[in-house]
Amino acid sequence: MMNLAQQLREQAKKLLEEKKVDLVIGFGQGTELARNTPVFIDSPEGVSALTWGPFCANNLAKYLVDYKNDPGSTAVVVKGCDARSVNRLLDDNQILREKVVVIGLPCPGQLEWQKVSAEIKPGSTLKEVVDNGDSYTVKTDSGDYTFNKKDYLLHRCLVCENPNPVISDITIGKEIPVKNYEERFAEVQDLEKLAADEKNEYWNKQFARCLRCYACRNVCSVCTCKVCAFDQMQPMWVSKRTNLSENTAFHITRAFHVAGRCVDCGECDRVCPMDIPLRKLNVKIHKDLGELFNSPTPGTEPGLISPLGGFSPGDPEEFM
Amino acid sequence: MESRVVNKGQISELLDKLAKDYNLIAPIKEETMTLFRRVSGAQDVLLDYNNSDISPKGCFLPQNEKTFSYMYTGDTLEINKPVGTQKTVLFGARPCDIKAILTFDPVFDGVKFGDEYYSSKRESTVIIGLSCAKVLSTCFCYAMGGGPCDTTGSDLLLTEIGDKYYVEVITEKGQALVDAYSQIIAKQDTAQLAKDKDELAKKLSGEFVRKVDLTGVKELMDNNFELPYWAGDDQKKCIGCGTCTYVCPTCHCFDIFDYTTGDFTGDRLRCWDSCMFPEYTLEAGGHNPRPSRKERIRNRFMHKIKYHLDRYNMVGCVGCGRCVNKCPVNIDITKIINDLKEVAQNA
Amino acid sequence: MPNPTALTPYPATITKIDVEAGDTKTFTVVFDDPEIMENFGNQPGQVCMLSAFGEGESTISITSSPTRGKFLEFCVRRVGRLTSVLHQMEVGQKIGVRGPYGNGFPYEMMKGKDLFFIGGGSALAPIRSLIDFVLSDQYRKDYGKVEILYGARSMDDVLFKSDLAERWPAIANTGIYTTIDRAEEGWNGHVGFVPPFIEEVAPTPENKIAIIAGPPILIKLGLAVMEKLGFKDEQIITTLEMRMKCCLGKCGRCNVGSKFICVDGPVFSLAQLKQMPPEY
Repeated sequence: MMNLAQQLREQAKKLLEEKKVDLVIGFGQGTELARNTPVFIDSPEGVSALTWGPFCANNLAKYLVDYKNDPGSTAVVVKGCDARSVNRLLDDNQILREKVVVIGLPCPGQLEWQKVSAEIKPGSTLKEVVDNGDSYTVKTDSGDYTFNKKDYLLHRCLVCENPNPVISDITIGKEIPVKNYEERFAEVQDLEKLAADEKNEYWNKQFARCLRCYACRNVCSVCTCKVCAFDQMQPMWVSKRTNLSENTAFHITRAFHVAGRCVDCGECDRVCPMDIPLRKLNVKIHKDLGELFNSPTPGTEPGLISPLGGFSPGDPEEFM
Repeated sequence: MESRVVNKGQISELLDKLAKDYNLIAPIKEETMTLFRRVSGAQDVLLDYNNSDISPKGCFLPQNEKTFSYMYTGDTLEINKPVGTQKTVLFGARPCDIKAILTFDPVFDGVKFGDEYYSSKRESTVIIGLSCAKVLSTCFCYAMGGGPCDTTGSDLLLTEIGDKYYVEVITEKGQALVDAYSQIIAKQDTAQLAKDKDELAKKLSGEFVRKVDLTGVKELMDNNFELPYWAGDDQKKCIGCGTCTYVCPTCHCFDIFDYTTGDFTGDRLRCWDSCMFPEYTLEAGGHNPRPSRKERIRNRFMHKIKYHLDRYNMVGCVGCGRCVNKCPVNIDITKIINDLKEVAQNA
Repeated sequence: MPNPTALTPYPATITKIDVEAGDTKTFTVVFDDPEIMENFGNQPGQVCMLSAFGEGESTISITSSPTRGKFLEFCVRRVGRLTSVLHQMEVGQKIGVRGPYGNGFPYEMMKGKDLFFIGGGSALAPIRSLIDFVLSDQYRKDYGKVEILYGARSMDDVLFKSDLAERWPAIANTGIYTTIDRAEEGWNGHVGFVPPFIEEVAPTPENKIAIIAGPPILIKLGLAVMEKLGFKDEQIITTLEMRMKCCLGKCGRCNVGSKFICVDGPVFSLAQLKQMPPEY
């Protein structure tokens, strides 16, 4: 994976030197061994900060919206799932295709940094990461640590549909075959089987913990409203109060606001500080939309009409 | 003040008694989360934990607090305040979080204005701290004047040593509690335990891996508000959520608003708010003094390492590391401090 | 002794409503409890938190001087949810009031000097409390010449019309200069923006204190003119506005640097402002 990082730096440097882009948004080493952080490189010398590996969980596509009014172009480093965000942002008219350069890296899976960190001696320095197919070996100055993917990858990676970026101007790395450790909708099928009041109890317990920090909404690449309904003062749909009623209203409403456009990048779930399994709401909606409208995951191709944003004569109409 | 001992085997008995006699707030496990919640007995209490996911500041400044309820018809007005505070024990808080509560005192028990809601909780709560057994990679309390076995702010501090808890009585309030539970919190010779605690403290202080140095940073910020540093990566990657402020034990910003419960009745609430939200300083006329993430990021960090010091002579961060842990994009106050120190040195 | 119940408003009744402009009304308010009214002790330049129950609270400056009687006047412009509710209220209805908050104007250091007030738009309201204080029977002799320069967008937007046209000019040793942005039928006064008007009137800095309040653009350009005319930083006083919620220095949001506008302000001299970060 070090080799890929080096190739990435070379490509980024070239883009900046040739002034094809003014900015490269990518991953850089974070302040913990097992973490990466978004970096914004605007000079060829700065590309040394770019890195690649299984600690690059962030979806960087949304940052493109911050630079859409800048005169020049922006390059963004994407994995498989984030690339779907780029397609969706294009279809939502949030970014212009000619001002974006997509650097796609096929992704063998992203590790949950807290789980990995707990196993590694604090203060260790990262030397390299080796992808063994079903596991990663993290080599540090305090020793080598191996993590099997089934237990240490982010859950969303276990059901990954697109390890290879579905949109890419510059691809770095070989194509990766789809490898699922779990059936895609298994996590919601268990919930579906519960009775209504059991489902209610489950979700009440989750939403009761919500802090309404809005990390999930802010990180979501399809939540791009200039003034979100939940930030509005006039009228004030929700206050700063965190009770079950407002929390539930927020999560259910947001799940429906993004339904049909959510690309299932799983960032909402990752960023939640209270470990609320948000992705389950969106996965359930994906399942339903697939069954009702036979629609693929949004963002899989550019130009896909959102199942809730368009109409086709063959759509189910039981009530008409 | 004196020190005592609780045998590990008796801690459940103590917690059960405390749960019966007090509103006992202790760390619990809720799925993958460690949180401070009210417990009904020892069976719910989590003793083997690093630190909670959000701080126990909610004991003194709840996320949602009713300041009064009102009945208002336009021509008549009645205001009813909540009555009475339960006597409470906050058990198992770490020294960093307890030190953070001290940073709230000058804010709420101010020179000109007190705060009955905060003060009544503060007075009626006994804080039983629990020394850390481990230092995490995200911890840096030492850099903020604290330590893993620090007694500052506790009424009692427990330290786990072998098969016992070494109990240090720090305040009168703590003394009153140990006197009430003397059978379990026993008087014993604690000379060796005291030595063992010192050893533990020394050992733990050597385990910090996060190097943070505040030298020169405040002076730099005293004289340079418009540092180019604030236009850098942090404000570019920040997504503007309230995670850091909500998990932080020293953040205390709140919003006040009314919540109608009927045609003429309602509650006035005080709820946590975050300076990272864009509408935090948005004025009714449309003007916003902190219009972009750059201003808000700068304000947050200057508040922690300068403004709080200016006003109360206390640094506004206790080094618990929660923000470092929870920030979705890895904005790290220790990196910012070290970067600013470098800027100060190169100036 | 710090007041621990500072977050609780006191019931007060609206006794009079004056319409100042299309979107501005002045509410005269008296506390239901006469002892609270008697001992309220508000100083010129201080503010109160007014409660519109069902919405919340808003910071409104006290526009009346304590010398004018045991009541409070609040000049409220309808800009948001809460002020809209206030505007729909009638005489006899109740609101909640808590205060007085803020540091007030430093009227002691102004004694023996001439005063030059500059106000723009709705900002005449906060400085009016000081104008009436220094023009009061009690304190008139402590101050020299009092001049008031005021600009509004239009004739309708001129606040306190009768004060500007009748009550203040009737008091000895005063000067009133009013301007509106654009010429209008029925207006015989000066036409033009406030900053160039200040240059025209050309107040001299000797033994004078200037008190200036207005929207950010007026403050910025006005201060530049005052500096040109030779006023020193210590001679210029202004009052700031920020979003406030608690008004007690606790909720954190009204900070400009290390200062909270609600307790350390809202009144600052230009010398003090220059020490603070430009984030207001």
